[in-house]
Amino acid sequence: MTAEEILQQIQSRFREEIRTAEVRRGEACVTIKADRNFEICRFIKEELGYDYLNCLSGVDWTADKEMEVVYAISSLKQPGKIILRARVPQDEPVLRSVVPLWGTANWHEREAFDLFGIRFENHPDLRRILLPEDWIGYPLRKDYQDERFVAYPWEDRKPGSVPRPTTA
Amino acid sequence: MTTINLHLQQVKERTTESMEEMWVNMGPQHPSTHGVLRLLLKLDGEVVRECIPYLGYMHRCHEKIGENRAYVQIIPYTDRLDYLASMYNNWAYCLACERLMEISIPARAEYLRVIIGELQRIASHLIWLGTFGLDLGNFTLFMWCFREREMILDLFEAVSGQRINYSFMRIGGLALDVPEGWLADVKAFLAWFTPRLSEYDRLSTDNIIWQKRIQGVGILKPEDAISYACSGPMLRGSGIRWDLRRDDPYGIYDRFEFDIPVGPNGDVWDRFWVRRQEMEQSVKIVEQGLKAIPPGPVLAPVAKKLRAPVGDIYSRVESPRGELGHYIVADGSERPYRYKVRAPTFVNLSALPVMLPGYMVADAVAILGSVDIVLCEVDR
Repeated sequence: MTAEEILQQIQSRFREEIRTAEVRRGEACVTIKADRNFEICRFIKEELGYDYLNCLSGVDWTADKEMEVVYAISSLKQPGKIILRARVPQDEPVLRSVVPLWGTANWHEREAFDLFGIRFENHPDLRRILLPEDWIGYPLRKDYQDERFVAYPWEDRKPGSVPRPTTA
Repeated sequence: MTTINLHLQQVKERTTESMEEMWVNMGPQHPSTHGVLRLLLKLDGEVVRECIPYLGYMHRCHEKIGENRAYVQIIPYTDRLDYLASMYNNWAYCLACERLMEISIPARAEYLRVIIGELQRIASHLIWLGTFGLDLGNFTLFMWCFREREMILDLFEAVSGQRINYSFMRIGGLALDVPEGWLADVKAFLAWFTPRLSEYDRLSTDNIIWQKRIQGVGILKPEDAISYACSGPMLRGSGIRWDLRRDDPYGIYDRFEFDIPVGPNGDVWDRFWVRRQEMEQSVKIVEQGLKAIPPGPVLAPVAKKLRAPVGDIYSRVESPRGELGHYIVADGSERPYRYKVRAPTFVNLSALPVMLPGYMVADAVAILGSVDIVLCEVDR
């Protein structure tokens, strides 16, 4: 199935839910409304036959006050790739989990929860995966602050002076 | 009730309770986890009923570091992801940037990348075979595999000056051309290496203990492999003939002829056998590359300060462990806005709770070994 055909299929089925749709580098790129992400993913998996979830990643669009979840979906039987984006507001980042469709989404969604604070409804086991369970904050958010991020004062260095670490 | 009777009753209650099931920690400091991984196993006697992996002991938020570096500065950090296949990590990252910035690289650099990448695949599979042998108690195989891996490391040291963390690839090609006579050295290595494979077979494939340990153990069904998005030898071991070098070719892999070995049953043996045969195929690819490599430059003329146009890309390659993907979002500056690594072993490891239940604790070591995990890549 070519990227144009994929787009046409998704658009004819979910006319109201599509925000933008385009073909780039031979991939079908679709931005959808976040509240129907599960239905659209199920349509892509079960009716279009793209049953391999390559990657699920969060993006923090802090200027727009939004968080984004990007699904990269492909198939092992047919060519064509789909990049599916769903945006949720930053103050309440909640989406439906796609774990019932793809087992691999389990750890990817836990990672997005861990590092971005995006919550996935109906996830079987939503807890931190990479960071310790008592960690405060979500490091990959653009407004995340940590005293260890303070820059080392290289620009202050004069010839012969001893570099000193910055304290917060 | 007397005190002694009360005590006996408590003991009895506790005993029956603990006879039913028991939670056992495997790791974080366990030799067969090849790093720091903690598995919580629920045991019924000696049979594993449930497995909960705990990750993150090596987490350093590679992606946050990447977001605060220029595109070129990220290359040394990619070495530290999968430190057993650093060349391939360099390649995967540089390829993603080249696709994003629409840079084409010289023909000689393409051929050298394939030659170096396939040598790296052999080295990576050798270290896997060796340490897997160690997990199963086969120490000689470990020493023999490391002997040949050292030769590949010597070759890489000759081109990059490093033995593990090469940082040899650049956006637009390679850092340097290979030294004079290096290609002849590669040829000599291949001539030495090919007969060694049958030596390994005498210790592993033909060894009845080896066969009994790993045949019919840790079966991963094809539908589970797809649902858990397994890739690389994990997927091919489950009978699915899928290799990005052939099915979504990058670089110049479409010019090479090679077979894609698959295993029919999806057990540990099939994953072992797929990797064992892939080493032969890599030798074939390197030989073809040595015949066809043209002279010329190895680095395209690229700007010193690279800026990517606004947009995003999901780029993937077939690393020795599976599909290594990079998702990069660019905002037009010299740093990536978002930089995500889809690590193959992170995804492959997520299928472990499906594979382990129903097998003995002793088999857990073999099953975990067959996933070929590198914890620095899993935890990022």
